[in-house]
Amino acid sequence: MLVRLFMLLTIVSAGVQAQSAKQFRTPWGEPDLQGIWNGETLTPLQRPARFANMPVLTPEEAAKAEAEVDSRPGRDKRAKEGTEKDVAGAYNQAFFDRSPRSLHLVDRRTSLIIDPPNGLLPTLTPEAQKRRAAIREYEQALLQGTSGGRPGPPSPLYFEPPPFYNVDRLNRADGPEDRSLQERCLAWELPHLDTFYRIVQSRGQVGIVVDAFQGQGFVRTIPVDGSKHLPASIRSYKGDARGHWEGDTLVVDITNFSPKSDYLGSRQNRHVVERFKRVSQNRLEYTITVEDPTTWTRPWTAMEPLEKQSDKENQIYEADCHEGNYGLMDMLANTRAAEKLFKEEKGPNPRTMDIATGGGVDPADQKYSFGRAGAE
Amino acid sequence: MRSLKREMLVALVTAVVISGIWLATTRLIQKPGSVVLAQNSSSAIPRRADRKPDFSGIWQANNGANWDLLTHGPRPMVGQPGVYPDVPVLAAPVVALGAIAWVPPDLGVVEGNEIPYQPWAAKRKQENLANWLDRDPEIGCFKPGVPRAMYMPYKFQIIQGTTKVLMVFEYAGAERTIHLDQVDPYPADAYMGHAVGHWEGDTLVADVSNFTSDTWLDRSGDFHSDALHVVERYTPITRDAFRYEATIEDKNVFTRPWKISMPIYRHLEPNAQLMEFQCREMAEETLLGHLRTNQLVKQWEGRTMRVEVSRKVPPGNGVYERHFSGNPTSKELAEQPPTRQ
Repeated sequence: MLVRLFMLLTIVSAGVQAQSAKQFRTPWGEPDLQGIWNGETLTPLQRPARFANMPVLTPEEAAKAEAEVDSRPGRDKRAKEGTEKDVAGAYNQAFFDRSPRSLHLVDRRTSLIIDPPNGLLPTLTPEAQKRRAAIREYEQALLQGTSGGRPGPPSPLYFEPPPFYNVDRLNRADGPEDRSLQERCLAWELPHLDTFYRIVQSRGQVGIVVDAFQGQGFVRTIPVDGSKHLPASIRSYKGDARGHWEGDTLVVDITNFSPKSDYLGSRQNRHVVERFKRVSQNRLEYTITVEDPTTWTRPWTAMEPLEKQSDKENQIYEADCHEGNYGLMDMLANTRAAEKLFKEEKGPNPRTMDIATGGGVDPADQKYSFGRAGAE
Repeated sequence: MRSLKREMLVALVTAVVISGIWLATTRLIQKPGSVVLAQNSSSAIPRRADRKPDFSGIWQANNGANWDLLTHGPRPMVGQPGVYPDVPVLAAPVVALGAIAWVPPDLGVVEGNEIPYQPWAAKRKQENLANWLDRDPEIGCFKPGVPRAMYMPYKFQIIQGTTKVLMVFEYAGAERTIHLDQVDPYPADAYMGHAVGHWEGDTLVADVSNFTSDTWLDRSGDFHSDALHVVERYTPITRDAFRYEATIEDKNVFTRPWKISMPIYRHLEPNAQLMEFQCREMAEETLLGHLRTNQLVKQWEGRTMRVEVSRKVPPGNGVYERHFSGNPTSKELAEQPPTRQ
């Protein structure tokens, strides 16, 4: 009887151990990161100035900050009706269809950046400052004399190519290259925070379907098999990603970015290290370290905890930006039509119009948003 | 303790039986000349912990199906009548490419080598073929749809997860997921459809629906409507090949369901991997070049070759003028039924 009881206990405890280990293990023994994960959050990449030295808020402070953001009109606020800015702001808040999680600061944190400890991007290198100034000067020159730009006659820079491959919305639509990567459906941007992901694994391979606004989503395949990076001559929007396991953490090294890709002003010299660590059934800590000696004076690190979603109720919907991209064609066609009218003396000179600044994120909301605005 | 002994006995008997079968099989496949059988034996198929086949890997079809699902001889990609009216020559858009501009011949992949179009649809297929440059979604880097994605001349990767089979296609960075577990209905249409899978023995069966009308089946104008319903069957042949079968059903376009079947091969290069083919920007000149302030593609003025290229896009076939594929939707077909002959 005693023997039987002992055996029973052994079996039960072994079963429990097996179960808890099995919970986050694939059947072939690798750590299991699979599922749909939500990374939407109100916490911005960089810490807003008013929360300096406050990396984590108290529950009361957090509730107050969240309520304040929630009460803003956001994208539903229109510019003066009939203005160029109003027409350009065609999407209202409903188009962005964010999850309730996006209305909350994650873990009551005030920035996703955890290093530097002040929660801010490191100082730009002199080279990057020069680069940014050149891009800004070019963009301002194209806006010169329009409702959205500084006063003055149209700039001769209008007839010059941009100083670097253009990734922004220019005040010119001579061809598709004048439009932003988003407008061209080319915004396969990494790292990509603040959104939904589906992770699927097979032995030695990880696939991630990345959701992104307005059908910009894309899919990544990451070999986790000891293979080496592609030759440096092969450049791409998503870069070349190779993974390996450090304990239960998936570490992904991304290099070989294209000079046409852009993340906060960092381009082909970007080096990204991602860490995916599942800490519980519903929480996966996603940490990125970004390094680019031609852009920042030091590497920086951000951590975003992802929350597991129901696999039954949720799906990552197909990203169909390009298939429905009437906007890019219309932008070019409209400008050609405006040029024709101007030639026939039936309309204003399109070069005096602002087709660049409207429709962006309202400056009042910038401190709570990601993207380029966060880098300013 | 008695029951434990009985279990041990059962286990021992089972082990003897299994090893007997194993020995018999081994003897069978070790016969001289039986090497092929050994390679084909189901024991060589990669399997998962639950004994189901594992389709994970980098794959590619190696046939002419993306040019034409049916058996076809060589023909110009874009042709025009030559000296003899029935012997075509290359037309201006591809004339500089010479032999490259000819479609390689191949045997078809359609069972019975016939696509059972309704009469109006047979006519439209011919129209599609004549307007290939304006209508084929592949030219615009639009999503390929299913089954076309499976036999395009690009690699694709299968990542077979625990409950989801993720397929990633090099062409256009397209992707699709086959759900092996319970999932709520897809609330919209999708170019790559919505796929729910189950196992029938070693065969993965996927039921795919929720399609748009905007994808094609090949570069020969073969098409479908948004009533398309595809049942796919993935069956391992060897470790490095599986049989892909798709039964295609569309009450708007075909008179009956029909079937395609082909092997799909594993890439055996040691570092086989997908690479990025972001064709959206590659197609910009074709789709939007005419809207530039300063046209980049002027009349051809080669060093020794002067070719007048003048292609007029026929009315109704401009990019995005209607659906970019030129296919009608169910709604349009209901409102304006095509004339049946």
